Amino acid sequence: MKNLKPLFARLNKIPRAALITIGLFVALGTFAPWLAPQDPSAQNLLEAGSGPSAAHWLGTDHLGRDTLSRLLIAANTSLVSVGSVLGIAMTIGIAMGTIAGYHRGWVDDVLMRVVDVGLSIPSLIIALAVIGIVGPGYWTMVLALALAWWPMSGRISRAVAVSIMSKPHIEALRVLGASPWRIYFNHLLPGTIGAVMVYATADAGVAALAVATLSFLGLGIQPPTPEWGQMLVDALPYLESDPRQVLLPGLALTAAVIGFNTLGESIALNRIPKPLTRRTLAARRIEVAGWGKESLDAK
Amino acid sequence: MVHFISKRLQQSLILLFLASVVCFTLVVSAPGNVAVLIAELRGAVATPGYVEQVAEEIGLNKPLLMRYVDWFGDAVSGDFGISYRTGQDVSADLAARMSITGTLIAGSAIIATLLSLALGFLGALWPYKLPDRVSRGLALLGASTPTFFVGALMIYAFSVHFQLLPSFGFSGPETWVLPWLTVAVLPAAVLSRVVRIGLEEAMSSPFVLTAKSKGLSRTAILFRDALPNITPLFINALGTQVGLMTATAIIVEPLFSWQGLGDYFLAGVRFRDFMVVQACLLIFLTFFILVNLIVDLAVLLTDPRIRRQWS
Amino acid sequence: MQNEPLLSVKNLTVDLLTAKSALRPVDGVSYAIRQGQCLAIVGESGSGKTVMNFAPLGLMPTGVTTNLSGSVRFEGQELIGLSEPEVRKLRGKSIGFIFQDPMSALNPVRRIGRQIAEMAELHLNMSPRAAEARALDLVKLVGISDPAARLSQYPHELSGGLRQRIVIAIALAGEPKLLIADEPTTALDVTVQAQILRLLKDLQQRLNMAMVLITHDMGVVAGAADNIVVMYAARAAECGPVDKVLVNPRHPYTRGLINAIPRRDDPIGSEFRGLPGVPPTLGAPIQGCAFAPRCEFAVAACTRARPPMVPTADSNVCVACPVVNQGKAAA
Repeated sequence: MKNLKPLFARLNKIPRAALITIGLFVALGTFAPWLAPQDPSAQNLLEAGSGPSAAHWLGTDHLGRDTLSRLLIAANTSLVSVGSVLGIAMTIGIAMGTIAGYHRGWVDDVLMRVVDVGLSIPSLIIALAVIGIVGPGYWTMVLALALAWWPMSGRISRAVAVSIMSKPHIEALRVLGASPWRIYFNHLLPGTIGAVMVYATADAGVAALAVATLSFLGLGIQPPTPEWGQMLVDALPYLESDPRQVLLPGLALTAAVIGFNTLGESIALNRIPKPLTRRTLAARRIEVAGWGKESLDAK
Repeated sequence: MVHFISKRLQQSLILLFLASVVCFTLVVSAPGNVAVLIAELRGAVATPGYVEQVAEEIGLNKPLLMRYVDWFGDAVSGDFGISYRTGQDVSADLAARMSITGTLIAGSAIIATLLSLALGFLGALWPYKLPDRVSRGLALLGASTPTFFVGALMIYAFSVHFQLLPSFGFSGPETWVLPWLTVAVLPAAVLSRVVRIGLEEAMSSPFVLTAKSKGLSRTAILFRDALPNITPLFINALGTQVGLMTATAIIVEPLFSWQGLGDYFLAGVRFRDFMVVQACLLIFLTFFILVNLIVDLAVLLTDPRIRRQWS
Repeated sequence: MQNEPLLSVKNLTVDLLTAKSALRPVDGVSYAIRQGQCLAIVGESGSGKTVMNFAPLGLMPTGVTTNLSGSVRFEGQELIGLSEPEVRKLRGKSIGFIFQDPMSALNPVRRIGRQIAEMAELHLNMSPRAAEARALDLVKLVGISDPAARLSQYPHELSGGLRQRIVIAIALAGEPKLLIADEPTTALDVTVQAQILRLLKDLQQRLNMAMVLITHDMGVVAGAADNIVVMYAARAAECGPVDKVLVNPRHPYTRGLINAIPRRDDPIGSEFRGLPGVPPTLGAPIQGCAFAPRCEFAVAACTRARPPMVPTADSNVCVACPVVNQGKAAA
């Protein structure tokens, strides 16, 4: 439980807009199967491409499927696949990073060189290469993206692990004769996981983009499961007559990614001094005004 | 200087070698029998005897090391084999497509550089004021909008709605504009943040206090002191983004019906045409290594501290 | 008395508002400096001596809002309330600055020649070529060997002492009337410290500039300054001519400081005579005398009200101590 405290302290610093967007995405994604008003794959060619109505709030696509339901289920699809990708990638990354940070020396060198190479190749190309060799499919996509993603969390967890290992209390534990396992599992790992979680969340936006991009290319989520990128590519031939079906999934995806990217940006900007906000400035002014001034120079 | 370049070239060659091993291993480890694929490609019934004959013919029965040496030797001399799907010479296809992808990446890189510098400086000149907020908003939007959606919006806006620019084909500058812009959006957004945050970080370093004490205005300090400081940083980030553009090309080229490398690679992945995937991958990796090399040399020229280490 | 002082600071109070807290690093300090004189401002780190000199001239880092009150007059012009562009005109041109750490004070990716020459271009309206020539003169002036070669070098190629000479050359490039040197020797090697100090003192006299020398080193004060202000916890404790204050310190803090300097006749192995206790951390202003908790002479009156700066028997020396000024405060 005590590991959650710094997590909450961090959450407090995150811009509210990001929290709301991410919260909405997670909530809608989780409860989509119950929220979706209609069966997302029920076709009704008679109503194909119709505009918003009482029955279909956001209209229907070229096969007459309810767009709102499909958008909601797509949030679920996206959430689950991004969760799996990041889950797997973080497990690998944290394991590699903490081992490198704990051992240092040649283990560190080798692992970090691998991470460097992994980071220098665009994740889409890594994922596509894997899919090209193994063949498309849901789990191929998840594993391919995880393979492309783990170097990122690997580098962060290594940095965190190194900073934890150099703290005096770890040194003290060693001197007191704590076993390496105890240092690793009781101190290093929990600390690293806590710190990497926030970065990983910020990364979820880019991961969602990758899932959508692979689906857009027809190599990710396979129909009939609805997914934003795939909905968009399905509607692309009808761009001229029915741009709504292209815009809606695109906007939904963009909104979700904006939420995560705002979070990432707020983390990146943390270390730069900023001018005070109007509110803190006013608070400080009041504080100073309370001090008053003693007169000093004897005239 | 010469020492640095020769050392860096050596490193690049080693990386190139490793890249070729990765490409080779990837395809060798592919599930399924390549000989069967080729046999079927030739329209024959894949009888065990014929498959064996094909395997012998393309050298599948040789030891792995020999196969690598053969393949690598061919690749270096520009022979990437024959596409399993179309039966065409991969090298000929590559040659035709490389200039198209080159046009895409070069144009987009220039647009992204100009756009990001403009946006970044806009923010740095009026920090936390309206221009900064606009620039940050645009950057956030640009970095969050999926490239395929950007492309769809471009086509809808400029080709369908206003009918200003053609939405497909590779035939002259007016067909280049939309793909260029589409590819440039993401790197421009990312780089503008690099410029903005880099400038701000430079502006909070101690030598800026000296510059202020000289009586220089904020604008003058920004251009004279902060800009040279972020140049190496910017070149590094630009290199990364140019590398990423190969990935973006995979999305954008099919969208605008450009027959470039990205399109070729995607087709290779779709139809599991290993020779094409392998060749494209090797080209991409070579491109990354090359870009990294150029970036390092450019940083060497712009950062006297690094130059010192190697002189 | 002679003419108007070049810089006259009266009752200056500086409040810094940061994201974390508000603090008052300078609390009602007054001093003055005339042309050709050197004023030393002495105090422990965190006693507000740097902020006192930099804040009125707009040299504060981003992320801090500065509130100034009191009066700072330079050549008769009031600086407090002046807009940033107007203050900027004084910086470099009329007032030159020297910083504590020459390692970070110079831009690492610009040639030294440019960093000096841009001052001459900006303030003396010189062409780039004339400015380069002036930069060469300045580099010679601050006593750097092989001056022409230095101009085309980068800061990291020079030693700390050379870099501090470059910083001095930059400060002099605009032909300022006042030089503010913030611990100019602290970050340097001991052997280089004396050279830099001698150079500064020599230049100050030759160019007839006024100089504010911020330091915590009593040795520096004795060698270079005419007058001294001793600061403790954001306030002035004692001020006056150096020869009088150092020889006959009146304020218990000054006395403690001077007493803490090791002497030649100290027996080998004897303990350092330090001041007991630690200085207060900056924050809200302190009730009464800030030094009272550490003072061996403290009486009840010390903590009751803030002691005023009062001239002592020697009218040039002022002390803010109710014990020393007993009976005079009412006068």
